[in-house]
Amino acid sequence: MTRQTQDKDMRITPQDLRRRGVREILDKIRHADGYYVTNTERDLSQSDFKNRIMPHTQLLVAPQRNDAGFFSLEITGGASVHVDMLRKQMSPLEKLEVLSANMPDTLFQTLCRGINLFGYRPYPDNVIRLTVRSFARWVHVWRVFDFLNHIPNMVSVFEEVREAGAILEPSICFSTGPEHTDAYYVRKVGEILEVTGEDILLCIKNHGGLGTPRRIGALVAAIRERYPDLVIHYHGHNTDGADLGRVVAAVKNGAKIIDASDHALTGFYGPPPLLTAVDILRDEGHEAVGLDRQAVIDASNLLRGEREHYRDFESQFLGFDPTVQIHKLPGGATGSSFEQAVKGGFLHRMPHILQQELPLVHTELGNWWSVTPGSQILWTTAVNNVLKGARYRDANDDLKNLMLGRYGDFPFYRPADSIYEAVFGKEWKTILERDGGYQRIEDIDLAVERKVLEHRIGRAATEDELVLYLQHPNDAVNFIKFEAKYGKTWVLSPDIWFRKGGYGLGDKFEIPDAFGRLHAIEIGPQRRTKTGDAVTYLVIDHHPEPILTEMEAEGAQVKKKVTFTPREIEALAKTGDIRSQIIGTVSEVPVAEGEEVSAGQVLIVLEAMKMLNNVVAEISGRVAEILVAPGDRVEVGDPLLLVRTD
Amino acid sequence: MKEKAIRKILIANRGEIALRILRTVKELGKGAVVVYEKPDSEAYYIRLADTAILIGEGPRCDYLDIERIIWAARKSGADAIHPGYGFLAENADFSEACEKAGLIFIGPPPGVIRDLGNKVVARRIAAQAGIDTIPGTGDLPRGEDGAAAALKFGREHGYPIMLKASSGGGGRGIRKVVSEKDLLVQLPLARQETLSAFNDENIYAEKCVEAPRHVEIQILADRHGRIMHLGSRDCSIQRRHQKLLEIAPANLPADVLEAMYAAAIAAARQAGYVNAGTVEFLVDAHSHAFWFMEMNTRLQVEHTVTEELTGVDIVREQIRIAEGQVLDIPRERIHLMGKAVQVRINAEDPKNNFMPEGGKRVEVYQSPGGPGVRLDGVVYQGYRVPTEYDSLMVKMTIRGYNWEQTIQRLKRALQGFLIVGPATTVPFYLAICDEPDFQAERFDTGYLDTHQDIFQYPEQEREVAKLAKLIAEIHARKVNPFAY
Repeated sequence: MTRQTQDKDMRITPQDLRRRGVREILDKIRHADGYYVTNTERDLSQSDFKNRIMPHTQLLVAPQRNDAGFFSLEITGGASVHVDMLRKQMSPLEKLEVLSANMPDTLFQTLCRGINLFGYRPYPDNVIRLTVRSFARWVHVWRVFDFLNHIPNMVSVFEEVREAGAILEPSICFSTGPEHTDAYYVRKVGEILEVTGEDILLCIKNHGGLGTPRRIGALVAAIRERYPDLVIHYHGHNTDGADLGRVVAAVKNGAKIIDASDHALTGFYGPPPLLTAVDILRDEGHEAVGLDRQAVIDASNLLRGEREHYRDFESQFLGFDPTVQIHKLPGGATGSSFEQAVKGGFLHRMPHILQQELPLVHTELGNWWSVTPGSQILWTTAVNNVLKGARYRDANDDLKNLMLGRYGDFPFYRPADSIYEAVFGKEWKTILERDGGYQRIEDIDLAVERKVLEHRIGRAATEDELVLYLQHPNDAVNFIKFEAKYGKTWVLSPDIWFRKGGYGLGDKFEIPDAFGRLHAIEIGPQRRTKTGDAVTYLVIDHHPEPILTEMEAEGAQVKKKVTFTPREIEALAKTGDIRSQIIGTVSEVPVAEGEEVSAGQVLIVLEAMKMLNNVVAEISGRVAEILVAPGDRVEVGDPLLLVRTD
Repeated sequence: MKEKAIRKILIANRGEIALRILRTVKELGKGAVVVYEKPDSEAYYIRLADTAILIGEGPRCDYLDIERIIWAARKSGADAIHPGYGFLAENADFSEACEKAGLIFIGPPPGVIRDLGNKVVARRIAAQAGIDTIPGTGDLPRGEDGAAAALKFGREHGYPIMLKASSGGGGRGIRKVVSEKDLLVQLPLARQETLSAFNDENIYAEKCVEAPRHVEIQILADRHGRIMHLGSRDCSIQRRHQKLLEIAPANLPADVLEAMYAAAIAAARQAGYVNAGTVEFLVDAHSHAFWFMEMNTRLQVEHTVTEELTGVDIVREQIRIAEGQVLDIPRERIHLMGKAVQVRINAEDPKNNFMPEGGKRVEVYQSPGGPGVRLDGVVYQGYRVPTEYDSLMVKMTIRGYNWEQTIQRLKRALQGFLIVGPATTVPFYLAICDEPDFQAERFDTGYLDTHQDIFQYPEQEREVAKLAKLIAEIHARKVNPFAY
């Protein structure tokens, strides 16, 4: 009885934060008799379901999760901001607004990549500040990191989080290897505290789930010894199956908040099951403060029924992967790596890539932290090295920028000269001299950006739309156009949204729209028009309505089925028939039709796996035809451009 | 005068008014014959008639062909003809041809139609009855003399003045002239327009009352000299002199209305009027002075508001009068309390100058119901908006106990329409419902010109229709292209 009441009082709610302020809340955690739990749903969704857990599912369990008494629910940030727009067709800001209305007693947490925000490359300072201010309307806890632990990359976000009255949680990214000593990390914590002052949570960000329980316990103890009042939040991944051990070790050594998630959704690369951690720790004499055990169980009971709709998005490789200690891929990138391997046809080479080439590249490039955007640089470089048969050839711009020091200093050592030569050529020293150094991004003119956005969507833009546009311009515009045409589709259940093979005749859905009206839609017959378009009869609210869907010509679909091996694509390139070696999106076409090009010149820039990849000319000649435009999606073997030698 | 029961009535019209008349004919247990032109083969009213007779390829010419109609009446064995409104409804020759053929024409005798159909004669009749008329000329002579007469009139009464077709009606054949120069430009145009529209080139000039209200009195007159009124209608809300929305009764002081009733009955008596008719007045919005404008010798489109207000079925009374029966509706049976309003739901785009959406198909049609809602329509799911005829789909008449309740009902009922396919006037009427002057029952014939904001209503697609588009797309493509 008293325990229960006491626990309720120990809960931390948004109202609590507003009333008492950050310092008092931190004190409450510091002096709590036990530890708190963050439900990292966002990381679970990103690591094990390719970020696809839909708002419909989140709303379904909102009451149970709200009752569960988590310290916070990590529900945005990371890659989810991008995927919300790209694949869920929902505004990440509206998602927060809707969810917070349904979970009024729960703090929302985000994962912010510092200067890279929720994207993959540095943003201008004024965009960073505007974005943080916008998201801070709904987000109470800000976990901020930099893949080089380079503190200047995080300062603007720190300042804005403070300004918004939210809880700041700077991170030290964690990894393993000779350089990753307690002394190094304790020093790093000191550097952070110098910038932020003491009113922070400190995150140990173990995005790969690296190290043993003993290692994590020792690190927490070392930090606590130097900074006894610091509230430590341990974040880990369960890739090797051992994160529960690390969580327990962290708490036993004084961590005050841990990360875990709903057991019905836990997989292999994301967080461990929350309740299991809680039960082990109780036996060790540590209580989860404010947690309602039954609500956690109730949430999972509901989620179990939903999981089948997400099966397509679980990893191609199921099962724990202890070799993560070798390849060190972050949990959030593991699923997408395997997806790339399947689509690119190199799944069978994954053991070699992951266990030999990737660790080698990692060491060669400086043994910093394999987390966005660094993990993408490491992964893409390793894959290129293996598939092209020549190491560090055609390096992408992100690797070049990194090696030029534009993202920040190398924390331990610089790559060897031979690698600089492989990437930049013989003149590498001159290039490094000329272009090297930290890159300052100029502020952009937000009024101009707004004008461009408004021109593209053909109407006035809201403040939220501008914020989304500044994150990912093309995908934001596509999303805004989608919503104008199809409405607020986040109300649709995953059963409707992800359905493959069409619906059954007579299938009936009850859909409450975003404005609270309940509708009934029944699937009627379908016919084809003379032009091949589809007319579907839907019985909408008891009235049959024919709906036209314009279909592309059948031929266009079939054409894509022609497949090429990487070797064939290289052979074709030597004849001037330039085709894509990867699945991606055309980012830039720096040449024009009729232009003379020489071998080695960049013809097309493709974006894949969040990285820019240069497609270069194999032969000198004239650009006869450009077959793609920026924004086009291309598959392996799709023709991009033709070079003629006259 | 002897009573002669009508057994079978031919309705010499089409569309919603054919259906309207047919409904009463059926109620009375009489035979209902309709005629149709080829483009109307699928029309709804044909399905409900006892007999439907194809009278030609059309469009429009056969509905105007007196001989064809008389032929159809003979062929079907009809003993009476109801002309509806438009087409031959105010054609004295038609009324006369019916009489000659031994058919009862449900409307006034030919002489009355002829007199009142001529605006100049009509004004003289009104003047004889002691009713003020708007100062105007007689038929203007052709050429120089006509121009001189019009110029003289303009100098005497001041501009603007109106040029009107002597045989005009329904708002057509009217031009506003703002200056002498303008007069000389418009005079030949007006004459040409009149000739092509009414096959009569006579026009006259009339003083223009700026932003007046358009108020009319419905009357009934039997063959025994009994004449009664059924109250007033305010038809001020118009576009280019075409009525859009009509209200019964007009919002005028009781003494003004009483004076107008008396004037209307006096005019009808002076004209020797028989059957249902409407006396139209222009009313000064401020002084409430009123002038006789014209008298319509037919059933009006907006007769429904009077029916809903008073409880009198005007078509039924028309038939009874034509049978020679005595007009014996007790005065106390006629309600003049409350409000009724009629809107015309047309397949038109109000934002595009009310351009008709001819040729478009109504994919979904859902109509409102509930208290105080009456629908007179021709539309159904699958209905094709004709390019050959008008774009009226359904008239909705709303009855309430006062103005406030009536607009609340009107708005609620308009929101109950679901019409997918053509653009309609529904959102336009919804915008009017929210307009403060309309809500305060303040409007004159300049209403739309002075309230252009009404046209800024948002184009709103139903949220569920958007969701349905995606569901149909996922179904057609067998995968959601926006999710993978």
